[in-house]
Amino acid sequence: MNPSNPPQTAEYGGVTIHPSSLEHLLTYVASRLDEVSAIVLDPGYSTTRAGFAGEDAPKSLIPTYYGKYNADGQEKLIFGDDVFVTPRPGLSVHNPIGRDGIVEDWDMAEKVWEYSFTSRLTGAKASDPFHNGLNEIPSEELPTEMEVEADEKPLADSPLLMTEPGWNPAKAREKTIEIAMEKWGTPAFYLARNGVLSAFASGKASALVIDIGASNISITPVHDGMILKRGVQHSPLGGDYISSQIQAFSKTAVEAGQPPQAKYKTFPADKAPDASYRSLLEERTISEFKECVVQVWAGPNKLSATGPNGVSNEEVARTTPGRPFEFPDGYNQVFGVDRFRVTESLFDAKAAIPDPDSPFPAPTPSQTLPELIKASLAAVDVDLRPHLLANVVVTGASSLLYGFTDRLNHELMALYPGPRVRISAPGNTAERRFGSWIGGSILASLGTFHQMWISKKEYDEHGPNIVEKRCK
Amino acid sequence: MAAAADVRDMLDLPAEGQPRPHKKQKVVEKRPEGITRELYALLGERAPPIALNENKYKGRPRWMNKLRVRPWRMTPFTNNARDDGLVLYHWQRKHESTRPPISDGAQMDTNESSAENRDDSVKPLDQVYPFAKYNIQIRMPKRYTDDEYTKLLQSKDWSREETDYLVDLVQEYNLRWMIIADRYEYQPRVNSDAGADAGANALVPATHYRTMEQMKARYYFVAAKMLEIEHPPAEMSEAEFELHERMLKFDPDRERDRKELAALQLNRTADEVREEALLLEELKRITSNEQNFITERRELYARLEVPISVGNTTMYQSSQGLSQLLQTLLQADKSKKRRSILGPEGSVASPAGQTPSQATAAETPTASSAAANKKGGIAAQAQPQVRTLTPAEEARYGVQHHERVSAGVQFRSDRAQKLTQAKSNVQTLKLAGALAELEIPVRLFMPTERVCKEFERLIQSVNLLLDARKVAEKVESEIRILEAARADREKKAAPDAPHPEVKTEAEEGASGVFDSTAAESGGADNSNKKDDGGDNAAQDGEGNHKRSASVLSGASDKTSKRQRR
Repeated sequence: MNPSNPPQTAEYGGVTIHPSSLEHLLTYVASRLDEVSAIVLDPGYSTTRAGFAGEDAPKSLIPTYYGKYNADGQEKLIFGDDVFVTPRPGLSVHNPIGRDGIVEDWDMAEKVWEYSFTSRLTGAKASDPFHNGLNEIPSEELPTEMEVEADEKPLADSPLLMTEPGWNPAKAREKTIEIAMEKWGTPAFYLARNGVLSAFASGKASALVIDIGASNISITPVHDGMILKRGVQHSPLGGDYISSQIQAFSKTAVEAGQPPQAKYKTFPADKAPDASYRSLLEERTISEFKECVVQVWAGPNKLSATGPNGVSNEEVARTTPGRPFEFPDGYNQVFGVDRFRVTESLFDAKAAIPDPDSPFPAPTPSQTLPELIKASLAAVDVDLRPHLLANVVVTGASSLLYGFTDRLNHELMALYPGPRVRISAPGNTAERRFGSWIGGSILASLGTFHQMWISKKEYDEHGPNIVEKRCK
Repeated sequence: MAAAADVRDMLDLPAEGQPRPHKKQKVVEKRPEGITRELYALLGERAPPIALNENKYKGRPRWMNKLRVRPWRMTPFTNNARDDGLVLYHWQRKHESTRPPISDGAQMDTNESSAENRDDSVKPLDQVYPFAKYNIQIRMPKRYTDDEYTKLLQSKDWSREETDYLVDLVQEYNLRWMIIADRYEYQPRVNSDAGADAGANALVPATHYRTMEQMKARYYFVAAKMLEIEHPPAEMSEAEFELHERMLKFDPDRERDRKELAALQLNRTADEVREEALLLEELKRITSNEQNFITERRELYARLEVPISVGNTTMYQSSQGLSQLLQTLLQADKSKKRRSILGPEGSVASPAGQTPSQATAAETPTASSAAANKKGGIAAQAQPQVRTLTPAEEARYGVQHHERVSAGVQFRSDRAQKLTQAKSNVQTLKLAGALAELEIPVRLFMPTERVCKEFERLIQSVNLLLDARKVAEKVESEIRILEAARADREKKAAPDAPHPEVKTEAEEGASGVFDSTAAESGGADNSNKKDDGGDNAAQDGEGNHKRSASVLSGASDKTSKRQRR
């Protein structure tokens, strides 16, 4: 989850550390591959992933958050992991994408996305050897050459495959292709739903994709590589919501094993960064806590329910050994049953910890995962439902919460006792975190896919509306 | 090896014929890579378990070094499946061409690269993109014309615009009905004449909801008609005709019903699912055991044909006696080379033990394991959890309660058998005769509880009848004697016998003779009339009995039929 770490696997040369199911899949499709050095860009709320198609993990992984500050009367922007580093005076942190996963600030989204591939993938072009500085340059020619360089579009020679959530409105899609074609100058473009791509990453053309992201959880029924629009469900109970629950609960659990011992750095009023910077870093700490401690009650039944032998599940959870965690300020504690409570509201709206300060309103029952799945399947033809239940794909980094898939399995079995329920969740963390990117990587390197690109010529002919016709 | 022998012992497998050749001896320890032979020789026999593997790049096999380097080149290509001539670049092995190699790849001038581009862009034309062949379009029927539509395809429910929309959608999504139904969003134009401003002012009309069945029905209708226009049914090929038939026969109502049923099936509760699984398991078990069961029953019948042993069974009532019996039976089985009917583990029960009906009756649906079922009633009784059964259940499972249970094994059939053994041999023969008349076998085919009861009743009434017959015969013979006596007397006193006298005498005589039988006939009056009446009654009784016997025989016929079944 820590976005400052670049992916560890397979930096170059395709030598992976872990042989995994994905690799089998890749060898299986190897005969169908035809790589055209396409770039796959998978923008999310928390992180933006970019990399070359055909690789098994995105090379470029940056936070979608960007920093903004004023220096010398000029507005300056910080992209990438640098956001976390220095608390500059007046530094405020923003996110171009709204909480529902749809882009709100298009100008900044374009810049963040552009940074994601120019910083690591395309880089600076090899310039003319006569003028690249290694040879002597007549000083008067330099400025004009630089202008030519600046004019060059960043993606002029790689096709671009981008992802979008299943509920992306048509206007946003058109805007996306506009940016890709006109600003970045890509020769070919395609916009794919990330639900479909996650299903592809698990080697399935039809699946029920459950994506637990940072800002959203979404259920996407996929049939024959196309989403079923009526069945797409999403709710804001994602990883950030869990973080807010952690914050709500850590307000209540004050009995410190040890009081915090830290010297806080104080900023003078004019040098202090914006509050949003603080909340970003708080979120980062809490993410670490979430990854280390938080657990989902594995079921069966809810945490508040009573087990088969009369002992309440909460009691059982209490008897499991706690997990220690030390916050950066020295506050440390062994967390027992509380670590189950913070995630319980993903499944049981009543179990939410009330917190008036949280940006998230209390969840309604219809926002919980079982209800979303129910609603999603109810909107799908009955003939397809058993097949979808037999192909449930779990993806998204927040689904890595310990015990999540077990609980999901139990909930699904309770909801649908008849049909066979089969969850496929890759055990490999990278495959879970970058599910939709990997699917895009596979898709964009398939030889048969190359007829589906929207080319620059087609875009010029039909205008941005072509994305609606082609990327169904 | 010892472990293997143990396992064999446990599984009763024959001991190994010959000891296996030792494979281990053949294995020669391999010298790990990275150690020279001399160093390895110094290590002795037991080398330390350290893998001395250097992490190094695998490299190419040596023979490859002799090959020429085959360069790969980023080459442009066009995809024939596209109609816009998009040029993409991919790596491809450079072909050995007659062209002179282009100047060093590192120094690509703009001029040269463009020239190369031109060169390569010619190439794709004669070389088909290998993935283009996967671009398959489905065959759609010809689109209808206005004329055809008005003539053939009019529908009350579907407007022309909506039909157009549907056919477009079907074409776009290649007949994937799930997706077509998902994306179907036809907005009927309210006022096509009023134009744009009316459309802008009007509220967006609610999308006309269509089910997938409606869409399918409409499309199949249209497609079938178009197929007809293209090829009249007489000229259709077989496949086309079949398709045509299938499209015409599509029944949306039936399809809808089917989907409702499917939804019901999908939304079963956990209990229903569990019950179904249980039933299925039961069914599976029954079907798998059926053959077994039939052979068992046949064997049982065969055994029933064997003449009944009249020996005393008390010697088998002690456990020692039983085990002895078991031994002898096993011996007999072995010598006959015949499979024991209950299998090796079930042979503890005596072969004639469980009747099949009882065995099936003992299977309660809650009996979870098949093993318990195999052992029949015994296992069912031995089940740990005791639960009270309703009378209906008792009847179903054949549970009965006895007031007094005597020690040892008893067979119901034996009890029934005992009834047919009367005290006297003559009586026994008579009973057998009666049974034979009723066509009831002496040995019951299937001595279930009910059959035994019926049999008991039958025997009782047969006994009653036999008694009655005996009495009747006695009385009859006495009457005959008396009549003879009277005739004698009449003969003697024929010339001068006054009528009334005779009567009184006869009365007297009768009373005298009847004196002894009076007790038997239950204090019957001495009068002939009364006797006649008694006879009548007896006859009546016999008639009754006959009727009842026929009823009985009918009933027993039924039971015997049931048995046969």
